[in-house]
Amino acid sequence: MLNLWMRASAWISLVVVILLLGFLVQQSWPYWQQYGLGSFFSGDWYPYESLFGLAAAIIGSFWAALIALAIAIPTGIAAAVMSTEILSRPWRSLSRSGMELLAGIPSVVYGLLGLWILLPFLQSSLHLLTGHNLLAAGLLLSVMVLPTIMVMAQDALSEVSAGQRDAAASLGMGWSERLWRVLLPQAWPGIRSGILLALGRALGETMAVMLVVGSMDHIPEPFYNLLSPAQTLTSRIGREIGESAFGSMHFSALMACGLLLASVTITISLLAHLRTEDNIRET
Amino acid sequence: MKGIAYFILAIILFGAQAQMASAITLHAAGSTTVLPVVSTAANVYHRLHPNVTITVSGGGSGVGIASMIQHTADIGMASRDIDAGEAARLGGKVDVLTIAKDAVAVVVSKAVYVGGVHQLSLKQIADIYRGKIKNWRTLGGPDAQIFVIDKEASRGTRHVFAEAVLGDAHARAAGASVISGSNNEEQALVAHSDQAIGMLSNAWLNDAVRGLAVGEGDKAVLPDIEHVRDGSYPISRSLHVLLPKNASAEARDFADFLLSKQGQAIVRKSGYLSVR
Repeated sequence: MLNLWMRASAWISLVVVILLLGFLVQQSWPYWQQYGLGSFFSGDWYPYESLFGLAAAIIGSFWAALIALAIAIPTGIAAAVMSTEILSRPWRSLSRSGMELLAGIPSVVYGLLGLWILLPFLQSSLHLLTGHNLLAAGLLLSVMVLPTIMVMAQDALSEVSAGQRDAAASLGMGWSERLWRVLLPQAWPGIRSGILLALGRALGETMAVMLVVGSMDHIPEPFYNLLSPAQTLTSRIGREIGESAFGSMHFSALMACGLLLASVTITISLLAHLRTEDNIRET
Repeated sequence: MKGIAYFILAIILFGAQAQMASAITLHAAGSTTVLPVVSTAANVYHRLHPNVTITVSGGGSGVGIASMIQHTADIGMASRDIDAGEAARLGGKVDVLTIAKDAVAVVVSKAVYVGGVHQLSLKQIADIYRGKIKNWRTLGGPDAQIFVIDKEASRGTRHVFAEAVLGDAHARAAGASVISGSNNEEQALVAHSDQAIGMLSNAWLNDAVRGLAVGEGDKAVLPDIEHVRDGSYPISRSLHVLLPKNASAEARDFADFLLSKQGQAIVRKSGYLSVR
């Protein structure tokens, strides 16, 4: 009975993923047919003028995720090392439940905190016209993906076997050598999976990003200007999906954005999964 | 453990039965300008008819109209008229009831107002939104860059404003620095800045968010109810609720309630011009 139920659940989840992708492909098909791959290079998105360029939102999503990871990876790994290797047991579990709590906060709460605290802070400290920009989105996302990286890294570090640790200690390795030569390389597959999952979450996050990114559909000038209001794929979908009529070209273009995001995140999580599988086989 | 499960099941079943027995839930969606009127009216109406609950959500006029096309709400709210494309898709199956009128105020941050900008002509506003005027000093205000707030294309306020100022409801605004959504969001943006300009229904003005007189020289007109009534304010509009022709009796009764004496009193209290 339990076996049947588990099999059914597995199949259902597979079917849901396929249906979802199928729906996105079907709905975005008119868009790909009319605009084709050239739309990846156009930054103009004016639905009422039938201009649906994807470049601005792709660049926005890319920067926001990159900033988030650039901050969250070192911080997350450092926090994991600190809590598994250095802290005593009660502090370790405290820091871990703190991280899990952080992961449980709804994203709209992060968005509102960003709106009320982060944006005014950025605006006044950097003397900007507005705090709405890619940096704000990246900073907010870094806090949101931090728990994923830290918790995964923590698990990976604590799985490094006692034998390895003893061997390292008996070779007379110092703390930093042990960390760089033994602990991190041994734990790396798990940490890498955490990073990939975090990247998926950073790319897919909508609500919090939508509130702080500014939703301006233009390519930052110059393209590395992180202090200008911009747009991400998710915030564009969030802002516009309600008004676009089902079946219209606007809707189809938004579904194309959705398909793009879905394929990237699915690829990333498959990658994360495959890498962990490999590792399990190796050991 | 089993006891708790049965208890929860009993509560769910009891709740479901109570739901089926009498309660009717209607959903209204769309313009955040019309929303305060409809949600206040929904509360009053629920007190008068306890079996009818009306939930209200925003999203903008475009969302309100789309919800009528896609049958995702019982009542639509729109702060602009339906355009030709939408009318074609609605196919005459929806009644448009005008419940109020208001002014789309051109708003600025308090610091700009205090700094000397009290009125602008339509041409000056257009130049700001097209990115031709970039500093408040040009307009007799403080020496500060203009923080130009545009709204999502689906918003009725954006539609009416762009039509009056830029000549086309969907015109691009090259000078815009940021895109906002609901009236709350817009109000917060203007209030938090010292150099912002934006667009808001006259009912949302306050000390930190000041409305400018619009027009040339002495003929500039303030965005208040008086000037909406006599038609002299250049960016005014009607606020609508949309009701499918095959709407339930309860939805129709609620729409009638909005147009009743009591409903129109709520309209006035919300800061808009009543139509009856």
